[in-house]
Amino acid sequence: MAVPKKKKTEWYRLDNAAMMYSAIQKENYSAIYRFSAVMTELVDPAALQRAIDRTMPRFPGFRVHIKRGFFWYYFEPNDAPGPFVKEDMSNPCQPVRFREDDGWLIRFFYYGHRISLEVFHALADGAGALTLFRTLLAVYLRELGHQIPNTGGVLDVDEPPSREEQEDSYFRYAKSRVRRGMGESKAYQNNGTPEPFYTLNVTMGLVPLDKLREVAKGYGASVTEYLSAVLIESILAKQRREGRRRELPVALAVPINLRPHFPSRTLRNFILTVRPVIDPELGDYTFPEIVSQVHHHMRLHISRQEMQAVITRNVMLQKNKLLQLVPAPVKNLTMAISYKLVGCRPYSTTYTNPGAFKVPPEMEPHIQRMEVILGQSYTPRSNCASISYGNTMEITFAGTVKESDVERDFFRHLVREGIHVKVISNRQGPEPPAR
Amino acid sequence: MSYCVNCGVELDPTASACPLCQTPVVNPRQPVDTELPPPFPSRREEVQPVNKLELALLLSAMLGSVAVVCGVLNLFFLHSSRPWSLYVIGAAVMLWIWLVPPLLFRGMPLWVRLGLDACAVGVYVYLISIDLHGLRWYLGLALPIILTGGAIMVALGLILSRGRSILTSVTLIIGAIGLFVMSVELYVDHWLHQDYVPGWSLVVAAVCVALIIPLVIVRRRPALRDEVRRRFHM
Ligand SMILES: [Zn+2]
Repeated sequence: MAVPKKKKTEWYRLDNAAMMYSAIQKENYSAIYRFSAVMTELVDPAALQRAIDRTMPRFPGFRVHIKRGFFWYYFEPNDAPGPFVKEDMSNPCQPVRFREDDGWLIRFFYYGHRISLEVFHALADGAGALTLFRTLLAVYLRELGHQIPNTGGVLDVDEPPSREEQEDSYFRYAKSRVRRGMGESKAYQNNGTPEPFYTLNVTMGLVPLDKLREVAKGYGASVTEYLSAVLIESILAKQRREGRRRELPVALAVPINLRPHFPSRTLRNFILTVRPVIDPELGDYTFPEIVSQVHHHMRLHISRQEMQAVITRNVMLQKNKLLQLVPAPVKNLTMAISYKLVGCRPYSTTYTNPGAFKVPPEMEPHIQRMEVILGQSYTPRSNCASISYGNTMEITFAGTVKESDVERDFFRHLVREGIHVKVISNRQGPEPPAR
Repeated sequence: MSYCVNCGVELDPTASACPLCQTPVVNPRQPVDTELPPPFPSRREEVQPVNKLELALLLSAMLGSVAVVCGVLNLFFLHSSRPWSLYVIGAAVMLWIWLVPPLLFRGMPLWVRLGLDACAVGVYVYLISIDLHGLRWYLGLALPIILTGGAIMVALGLILSRGRSILTSVTLIIGAIGLFVMSVELYVDHWLHQDYVPGWSLVVAAVCVALIIPLVIVRRRPALRDEVRRRFHM
């Protein structure tokens, strides 16, 4: 166990994903994501605030602020009042400031039927945040007088928080003899015209899951693989339109939840990315060929052994004695620069699919659908994320770019394959034509 | 419900255009619903820019205390006959002007910033000239050179800030260096023997021109430019 067996730890280290996310943090960028639940009834903000106050003590890993130590950042419990639920805004996932808003790295919003939770990625990955969100929704519904049991992934808020939920699971599983690096080549950067700071254009597509699954199955692929392939195809088309002499590979960063592969109850980060890639220099791929490439790439590389080697390498880097002696500002600067130079270069965009959001049957009638937004990317391009609830698959494109060409081609492809798509967006409509 | 005629996706009843392709919604059977709340709030909120005031105060305090300590030492203890502390104080003032205003006023135009920086150098050299009793050489030689250098920097900064290609930037920087060297000799000659006989600066300028010519040719000829791009992967 990585967690020291001291009686009461007043602080804890960042795991290695968290270190990266906090080091690349800058004035106009933070790694933030948002989950939203669209409820059947209008949201009652007072009940929601009561639910937050009841739920947060159960999740100490989210009740923290980030502090700059001499050698590393670290988390410390945040005893400030809050976090407070706020009225939602049109430009979500704004960057966090470590020393403002009482240092909260988590935010709650409401708008109409929608309850939203925004999390700084250093705190937790999607699976961890969804556990908090599911529990919060259950407590909120109880506040409204519904009977919701503590089953099906809803944690008991009266129970003391468990140590295992705070564990750095990367540390526990860094046991491989081999340290496998990524060492990936540059991918097409898929950048567009940046919007002024701070605008996040969000476009969501609502798709029936059964039909989507059926179409994906027709290609012998899972939904994630199929949607990854559609996304790659759209980005390939965009690159082709730019008319480059030499086309670069189009590669996605697809985060994989490690919990099904390495047993862990942690609510912190425990993900790795796989990188399905298509190199157009090899020749043009038909769509079924792209799906097949993605499918086989994912099946080949999502293996326990290979992932463990990558975890080991990442953790060893963090344990390196020499590296530990470098002061934090220097380390952060180095990490930020190297991320700028190599970190985001091997990917054209990110596509994350936390999968199906499951709740106890008692909660089901109260939730219409779930939504996810992956906040802005480090460079001006749009990210893709999806989550399903019931029979609704929600697919979001979000980014600080003016153009909407990738999402347009993406959703048009789904429509061409006979999948019904409903699109909603926070983009303000076109300006009325000048007279 | 309305669909985009262009994309075939269903649209929200409140949408006046397709979010994907901006095609306006024209549906006589079902006009755009302006009563229903839109799917996302329209209220914008801007996160405050990072406050650099603390850093600016810290820098000011550090530079200020260095200047004061040196000034006091100079006045009362060490070589009080000679204003040596002006060197340190001048350097502190110059550093302050270089570093602090850009932290406080982020909207500051580039030309103001570069102009201020040049003035700071001018002030610093002025303080040195006081110590050396060299007001004459300061006004006759140093100030014109600093002002010319500053003007060239401002012009270069303004041109380059519009995002030029690497080729253009390199050409302009080399050109600016040539120009500056020529002007330095002009002032030196004028100061020493009241006439201008271009000598050593011509050599430097010639080298600059020799460097610029191929760059300009490459820039002007698309075929050549492509060739260079291919060879150097720019
Ligand atoms: Zn359209």
